[in-house]
Amino acid sequence: MTEQRKDILDMLVAGKITAEEAEQLIAALERDQAPATGSLDARPKGKVKYLRVVVDATDNGEPSRVNVRVPLQLLRAGVRLAALVPPQALVKANASLSDSGVPIDLTQLKPEQLEALVEHLDEVTVEVDSPDATVRVFCE
Amino acid sequence: MPQLVTVKVNRPDRRPVRVWVPVLPVALVLFPVVVLVVLAAIVACVVFRIGVVRALGAAWRVISALPGARFDIEQGRTAVLVAIR
Repeated sequence: MTEQRKDILDMLVAGKITAEEAEQLIAALERDQAPATGSLDARPKGKVKYLRVVVDATDNGEPSRVNVRVPLQLLRAGVRLAALVPPQALVKANASLSDSGVPIDLTQLKPEQLEALVEHLDEVTVEVDSPDATVRVFCE
Repeated sequence: MPQLVTVKVNRPDRRPVRVWVPVLPVALVLFPVVVLVVLAAIVACVVFRIGVVRALGAAWRVISALPGARFDIEQGRTAVLVAIR
């Protein structure tokens, strides 16, 4: 309970204000507090433009590094291009994936779902730390 | 649309190679090849019953979204960088 709300209830108990007035004051208080508490969620997100993949590893004693920056617009365009893949090609790809031990049905993957995935990539951060490798996937 | 592709290759015991490829002049020089590729793509679209306009539009979107892409791979003293601007 906030201090101001407690003050209003105290005034109500002391008989300084009526129940209706207390209700109006609390309602006004909530109206004032709503933008302040919601401001964190409502703040404009920084416009992310790129998906970054950074891999630092040691391979046979030699340091290796992969640093890839892909525009998110390219991912969106790729999703649109992938939506044009004919169904018979998807069936063949499904068969090949099953043979490789990856039983994924690509025909069930809708372009809208992929687009939604790309839209929310800006909130994704993946960090993998192992003794000989570090992988970071994030948007910037 | 991409304007410049930069390729850098560093190899041990060799001089580093840096190549700047201006996309538009190279595309103009290779115009006959580009036309052949587009024709082949149109034929493939007709054979596989894909909307030609949609396919060409999607391909153009991919090409126009390329600027900003950067691939940097290093292993030991060998390094390859491809950057598209």
